[in-house]
Amino acid sequence: MSENVKQSWSATRLPAFSQWWARSKAPTYAPDGPYLAALPALITGLLILLTLSGLVLAVYYNPSHPFASLQFIAWNVANGWLVRGFHATGTTILFGTIYLFLFRGIATRAYKAPGELAWFATVALYALLLLTAWLGQTLTGGGAAYWSLKNAAQAAGLLGGAPGAVATWFFGGPAGHGTLARLVVFHIALALLAFALLWLYRAAAKPAAPIATGAKPVAFFPYYIAQYFAAFAILALIFSVFLFFAPHFGENPLDLVAGSDLVVPTTITPPWYLVPLAAMSGLFTSPAGAIWVVVAALAVLFALPWLDRSGPRTRHGGWYRFFAVLLALDILGLSLAGAAGPSLITAILTILFTFWYFLHFLVLTPLVTALEAE
Amino acid sequence: MRRLFAAALALGFATAGAAQADDTLSPLHFQSQGVFGSYDKAALQRGFLVYETNCAACHALNALHYRDLEGLGLTPDEVAGIAASVKLADGSPATLDSRFKDPHAKATTFGGAEPPDLSNIVNARPGGLEYIYNYLTGYVPAPDGVTLLPGRNYNLAFPGNQTAMPAPLKGNDVTYADGTAATLPQEAQDVTAFLAWTADPNLDARREIGIRAVMFLVFLSIIAIANKRKTWRETV
Repeated sequence: MSENVKQSWSATRLPAFSQWWARSKAPTYAPDGPYLAALPALITGLLILLTLSGLVLAVYYNPSHPFASLQFIAWNVANGWLVRGFHATGTTILFGTIYLFLFRGIATRAYKAPGELAWFATVALYALLLLTAWLGQTLTGGGAAYWSLKNAAQAAGLLGGAPGAVATWFFGGPAGHGTLARLVVFHIALALLAFALLWLYRAAAKPAAPIATGAKPVAFFPYYIAQYFAAFAILALIFSVFLFFAPHFGENPLDLVAGSDLVVPTTITPPWYLVPLAAMSGLFTSPAGAIWVVVAALAVLFALPWLDRSGPRTRHGGWYRFFAVLLALDILGLSLAGAAGPSLITAILTILFTFWYFLHFLVLTPLVTALEAE
Repeated sequence: MRRLFAAALALGFATAGAAQADDTLSPLHFQSQGVFGSYDKAALQRGFLVYETNCAACHALNALHYRDLEGLGLTPDEVAGIAASVKLADGSPATLDSRFKDPHAKATTFGGAEPPDLSNIVNARPGGLEYIYNYLTGYVPAPDGVTLLPGRNYNLAFPGNQTAMPAPLKGNDVTYADGTAATLPQEAQDVTAFLAWTADPNLDARREIGIRAVMFLVFLSIIAIANKRKTWRETV
């Protein structure tokens, strides 16, 4: 009883906050953390921004008249264009940080034990956000989004067995007003699931964080809070440049116009963050093949902890780092080939880049890491 | 550069005065183009006059309410006057909160071509502003050897060159209050500028806020990095 006297009323009843404050003052962090260590926090912040702006958009969104309701937001909702800009540009910046985070995880071998679970959570978050973002794009009812959804719903109808049943249930049949109404629900539910994966990442990354050795460890407050603040300010600057001066970055221009049954786009280029995987799946004519190549592309990413044959002591740099940079360039090339639209040259390049993608994970990674293992 | 400072100081929002239009026809350009461009309010007002006089009988602007015309730099009283002069389908005068009058033009009246809603036409046509301008000024007599389909008109800019709409502008269709000569190119450019505004009405606000936000965040980033370096100096 006498011990608790000094504690405040709230600390006695809700000790979580005082414990959090005590933890943030405890010197347990490495004193040389780079700015990019703030990426998970930035991703969390962007997801919160997307949730809040999405809440406002959901209030005015009407799945029966998707494009008209977005025009309504632009014309008649106070600062509606700004909220929609937060949501659209927030998605672009979120995928920018996710791709950077994935690249950093590969280049620094963050997936190695005991970081496997944190890596799985990261890849799962990436896949989940891709699906959520695609759903969000279809909700706009734009010219490309409308046909993207129509094609997906029709491809779902071609799938047989259990996958076909799940896909048909997901879309609720061919694309129509009822489909958009249920995709709104999935868009929101999957976005909330992303927070669960973020929590899993944070819980799993904590034991995997490098223990501060040698140099004197530092506390989160005030050292890392200052670093996070700087990282947030720089991200906000990049965000503002895109939001105010390139609001339609990576967006298909067809999406600026309402989708129509009478206007069929010859090619449907997805938003920029979907282009690499869409280019791979575009190599296949059957829905099953298109789905399996995307699943395989995510699976090899997922399997990195096993594909890396180096021992527990990892060396940074070397040929492995070189091939990680090459992989990033390969995915950039895949994106450019996918964005350029179908032609003989882009088809050949897409096959080459896809081949290199799988070669990197299935052959080069085991080989190089085994050779460089000590 | 001049436009950058004009936008930064919000001078671009000065209400259109009696000044005549700058020469933006040779070469053709629109003030809203470019990263720091903003709408020329005088051109938008002239363009609205052209729309109301020559286009509104067939083409709808369903995304707009009459109150939105305040975005052209008109006062609420002026907009109320414009709305009151419009007779809606039920015969009552329009108010500030009425949607723009929809003429409900039928495709059957125009040889199967339905006059499109113009709210978003600049985005809906490849080539955007330049295409709309070239289309409106592209009516010429059909060259020898070209047989026009019934009800079609020869147009240099239209894909296939045979368009259903007869030439909507001929020059001197309107009398501009600011004394600008209502030539065909001038009318076409003004109504194109107006349609650019209907497709992206928040462009001015976006760029005005954007310049301020970016300037603020540049300084905030510098201060945040300096603060981080100062905080961390004692650890290493």
